[in-house]
Amino acid sequence: MLKHLFTLIWNKKKQHALLILEMIVSFLVLFAVFTLIVYYYTNYRRPMGFRYDNVLSVSYSSQPGSGSNRDSIYNVFQTLRRSVKSMPEVIEMSYVSSNSPFSMNTSNNGVSYKGVSEMTNYYTTDDHFPEVMEVKMVEGRWFNANDALGKEQPLVINDVLKEKFFPNESAVGKTLEFGDGMHRITGVVQTLKDKGDYAPLKPGTYKRVRDSSFMGRVLVSYNPAADAGFESRLFITFSGVLKNYTIEIERLAEKRVIMNNTTLVPMIALLVVGGFLIVNVALGIFGVLWYNVSRRRAEIGLRRAMGATGGGIAGQIVSETLVLSTFALIIGIFFAAQFPLLNLFDMPSGVYIAAILLSVLFIYVLVIICAFYPGRQAAQIYPAVALHED
Amino acid sequence: MIHLQNIEKVYRTDTVETQALSSINLNVAKGEFLSIMGPSGCGKSTLLNIMGLLDEPTRGSIRIADSTADKLSDKQLAHFRNRTIGFIFQSYHLINDLRVLDNVELPLLYRKSTAKERKQLALEALEKVGLSNRTKHFPTQLSGGQKQRVAIARAIVGQPEIILADEPTGNLDSAMGSDVMDILIRLNKDEGTTIVMVTHDENMARKTHRLVRLFDGSQVQ
Ligand SMILES: Nc1ncnc2c1ncn2[C@@H]1O[C@H](COP(=O)(O)OP(=O)(O)O)[C@@H](O)[C@H]1O
Ligand SMILES: [Mg+2]
Repeated sequence: MLKHLFTLIWNKKKQHALLILEMIVSFLVLFAVFTLIVYYYTNYRRPMGFRYDNVLSVSYSSQPGSGSNRDSIYNVFQTLRRSVKSMPEVIEMSYVSSNSPFSMNTSNNGVSYKGVSEMTNYYTTDDHFPEVMEVKMVEGRWFNANDALGKEQPLVINDVLKEKFFPNESAVGKTLEFGDGMHRITGVVQTLKDKGDYAPLKPGTYKRVRDSSFMGRVLVSYNPAADAGFESRLFITFSGVLKNYTIEIERLAEKRVIMNNTTLVPMIALLVVGGFLIVNVALGIFGVLWYNVSRRRAEIGLRRAMGATGGGIAGQIVSETLVLSTFALIIGIFFAAQFPLLNLFDMPSGVYIAAILLSVLFIYVLVIICAFYPGRQAAQIYPAVALHED
Repeated sequence: MIHLQNIEKVYRTDTVETQALSSINLNVAKGEFLSIMGPSGCGKSTLLNIMGLLDEPTRGSIRIADSTADKLSDKQLAHFRNRTIGFIFQSYHLINDLRVLDNVELPLLYRKSTAKERKQLALEALEKVGLSNRTKHFPTQLSGGQKQRVAIARAIVGQPEIILADEPTGNLDSAMGSDVMDILIRLNKDEGTTIVMVTHDENMARKTHRLVRLFDGSQVQ
């Protein structure tokens, strides 16, 4: 019977060309949507790697004309650290580069090991970063002041980079060529998903900055019991030390929401557009099937006369539609498969494969739903009446 | 073979009620070639459809090939139509999107059979109607007479005991019509197939064993 239906559909392929095209387009739209959903979902499932509750991000920039020499800057930031630390609510603070968690900034740098080089997110922080962020060390430890005494500067890498360079061995103690010279790895940190819940994990390196250098940003972890006035007191502390600076305090937890929205909002828009498209296609398929059934009453009556049961006719209508969608899916999958094959967009091929499977499943379910009612109508066509008309 | 007792058929729509058949009593013996004549609209097709279990009578009982036809389930009806009866229609009712061979195989799709068996039987049936050289054609590429021969091949491919033919020559010129008639006569003679044929043509009717005339839903002869 299946072969019969294939023959029937194949012979009618010109009539069905538009419907097939419509199915191909909807498959590709679904494929795009599912690719993003699967991609974001797998990213979302991964641990954040740091804490964002009860952490404030304080940025400051000096106003023009307030330049001062390096030593005095050093002193200012030593003082700032002391003043902030002396606040009872504050647990720890850390100077960080502007690509701190949930900021829009990124900073990239190449790093190479034994001639193989890799692009990494390049962070600069001080020794207190792990305590503020509650990061998890996978191996070794965070750098500290003693590491600065050695010939090579210390470096912490994340586990994504570790997997690239040292998949089967320990990274601690290895030296990497990085920026201004050779760096020795003191530890491997669990990768921080610092561009939001839906962001991928990327290779990263953490370079040590001398305590209290000018960094432009501070992360402050504080006691959850801190009262509402804490932020304004913190602001006063900052502006007391950093005169002539513009100071901005943000909550990391809020920055996370904003960051996530940059992914979610376009995604929701895409889902809405995709949803409309799918509803349209579903109505289209339904309409075409409905029309086909009414046009094929004589054929259906004939099949009944030849020994088809009502259920058999309904099954035929549904199966035909499945065969038709299989034609469309074969073509659609051919196009979709180019993404993993040509490695476009740098996504793991598992994401594409999962998206293809989900889209195929979705199309089949959609088509069965659309074909169900026309199929049932066809089953109720009375053979004598259908053969009488024409 | 076919026993109709007090068959009555009333078509009811919202506004009109049509008495298509009234008190038809008819027996067709095994191996008989019966023709039915009557003016248009007198109920010939209705009668044939009832005999073929495509339609139910409003009243009366039918026994065909030793089984009582009422109270059959949808599945049993389908099985019966498939096994026992071959239909031929005035307007052929071929599926235009299928090649001749696939059209002829159609009844075999609704029973257990392999693709090889189907092809074998369909080719044999096409051989019998003299169309072995047209198996790959589409119905639209055939003449009316050829189409009706394909329809006959389709009716006989499942080797039914009974063939019901509704004006099989109605759309054909006399030459093509007598070709078709010859095939039916041969089928009746050689294979003993019981045939009931509706026709408008006295000459055709004369070639059959027995003629039944209908007028306004009633049997007149
Ligand atoms: N499905 C139907 N609904 C209503 N009336 C019908 C239907 N089929 C046939 N009839 C009526 O029943 C009568 C007999 O029709 P039919 O058996 O087709 O006649 P014939 O084949 O002898 O020309 C006609 O009056 C026709 O209009
Ligand atoms: Mg008629």
